[in-house]
Amino acid sequence: MSMASIIVAITAFVLGALLALLTIPVLVWLERRTAGLVQDRLGPNRTNIFGFRLGGVVQSFADVVKLLIKEEYYPSHIKIGRWLFMLSPIITFTAALLAFMVIPFADTLIIDGEALRMQPLPVEYGVFWYLAIGSVGVIGVIFGGWLSHNKYSLLGAMRATSMVVSYELPLGLAIISFIVTYNTVDFNAMVQYQTDTLFGFLPSWGVFLQPLASIILIVALFAETNRNPFTVAEGESEIVAGYMTEYSAMKFAMYFMGEYVAMNTASAVIITMIFGGYQLPYVSTQMLLENFNYFAYALIVLVPAFTWWMISFMRKNNRVRPSVTTDSGRIFETKVITIFLLFLAVVVDAILLYLSLIPNVLATQIAVTMIQVVIFVLKLMAFNMFFILIRWTLPRFRYDQVQSLGWNYLLPLSLFNLFVTAIVVVGVN
Amino acid sequence: MGKNIITTPRYGKNFKDRLYLPAIYEGCKVTFKHFFTNINNSNAVDTLEYPEEQPSDITSRYRGLHRLTHRADDTIACVACFMCATACPSDCIFIEATERDDNKDEKMPKSFSIDTLECIFCGYCVEACPCDAIRMDTGIFSLTGNSREDFVLNKDQLLSYKGAFGEENSCARS
Repeated sequence: MSMASIIVAITAFVLGALLALLTIPVLVWLERRTAGLVQDRLGPNRTNIFGFRLGGVVQSFADVVKLLIKEEYYPSHIKIGRWLFMLSPIITFTAALLAFMVIPFADTLIIDGEALRMQPLPVEYGVFWYLAIGSVGVIGVIFGGWLSHNKYSLLGAMRATSMVVSYELPLGLAIISFIVTYNTVDFNAMVQYQTDTLFGFLPSWGVFLQPLASIILIVALFAETNRNPFTVAEGESEIVAGYMTEYSAMKFAMYFMGEYVAMNTASAVIITMIFGGYQLPYVSTQMLLENFNYFAYALIVLVPAFTWWMISFMRKNNRVRPSVTTDSGRIFETKVITIFLLFLAVVVDAILLYLSLIPNVLATQIAVTMIQVVIFVLKLMAFNMFFILIRWTLPRFRYDQVQSLGWNYLLPLSLFNLFVTAIVVVGVN
Repeated sequence: MGKNIITTPRYGKNFKDRLYLPAIYEGCKVTFKHFFTNINNSNAVDTLEYPEEQPSDITSRYRGLHRLTHRADDTIACVACFMCATACPSDCIFIEATERDDNKDEKMPKSFSIDTLECIFCGYCVEACPCDAIRMDTGIFSLTGNSREDFVLNKDQLLSYKGAFGEENSCARS
């Protein structure tokens, strides 16, 4: 173990933990603001610290504080399996968190001939790890619903179980067709496979190679994360809160956060498997490393342009409405954030200019890795937005409809797709 | 079978509808359009910045907070007949009557209080009042307080509210 490998391992782990945990408040905020904007209202935009509201994201932190200091209520009718009752939210949360840990954020760093993987868990069987750990999450849901000794919770757990038996099989079969296509179970190798081009003009993303399996994968992952249109395990109008009826305070928050981590994980898996992961289309890591100067020049132009766009967006939208007379610190906030963004743009530009003028192999590698991490985060957030917008678009499925969809349509389709894939792969080779 | 029976065609049976994905696309078009128009100009979203902005579209028929009306000479219009307290379905009006000494009427309320936490704002008291002494035309839609006692409005508070829609004094007693 060299020094570099230890540093890279720690960096990757911290990055993974931050990406999984720090996105929770951001996702909660995104969900609420998006719901508001889709429904022609504004969503939470009031909470602030010294006048800094950051578009309302402070609300999520206030919610966390509220949930932490809330009364820890423990239902007295639960006599058997108390410890499992307490454990089940932790199972759900931990499973979602662990499943995220095999996603590569950037290409493998090669320092002094040593290949260092940019994964929190540097394993080569990432797909198996994801399938094994990702499915554990629902066990926490079932345990929680069963041990609550509550009819509504039990119904929620039963529905969750019905979901598992209907979507896990198509999900696995869709993933097998990807494994057959890419000929690997390593997420990083999958991403590298997708940097080629298809027919000379399309990036060889999984979504173009395997359109049917991609749709099945996305549908099954929507079901796995318990998101709309597959929110059958909970339903306010039918079974109160479903499996989490008896949970309060931080126990409830664990389920709640686990749902968002699972959504994040599902987005990460989708972009890694079928949308080219951390890579830009058409651009491989080798190309980035060899022609770093040109990319740096392009970024030197793009970063100020993006900053200017962000500032103009903020100046347009972070204003006091004409009908309101009080300002409550919006102008000051806009001013401070504008200065901060300009400073950031100048720093990034200076670093890029320095790197492009004075070539340095290690620094270039690190810069390329950082660019790939940024691309990964952008893609991740874009797909999370897709998840959220779908939630506010579609009505819910009844849980027998979910089963019918899983068994009657997705399973035959995924089997057919696997069959065709196998024939094509064998025929081509 | 009469002539008036209309057979509506059953939708959702053709291939496009059974595929379900075109419908998702159509739905997404609507939500995405709303989302992007609103995020581009969030100040144009038609909402009220509530505590700073107050609603301006309260109609004169709006049942707001109660008030007790005055006669033309600023004395109380109420004659303590207990009609409102009798009509009240949630028993939240408490009246204590006393003799009136200004020769206008025989009785007046010594105390008149409404527990607004019990009140369901049905307006039966207004309907029942023979003297047009109690009204719900203040246009006040929110009442805040720090304790339960703050929400029990007494006679002086009820008399202090002004009508928001023009009619100030009692129409029945002068």
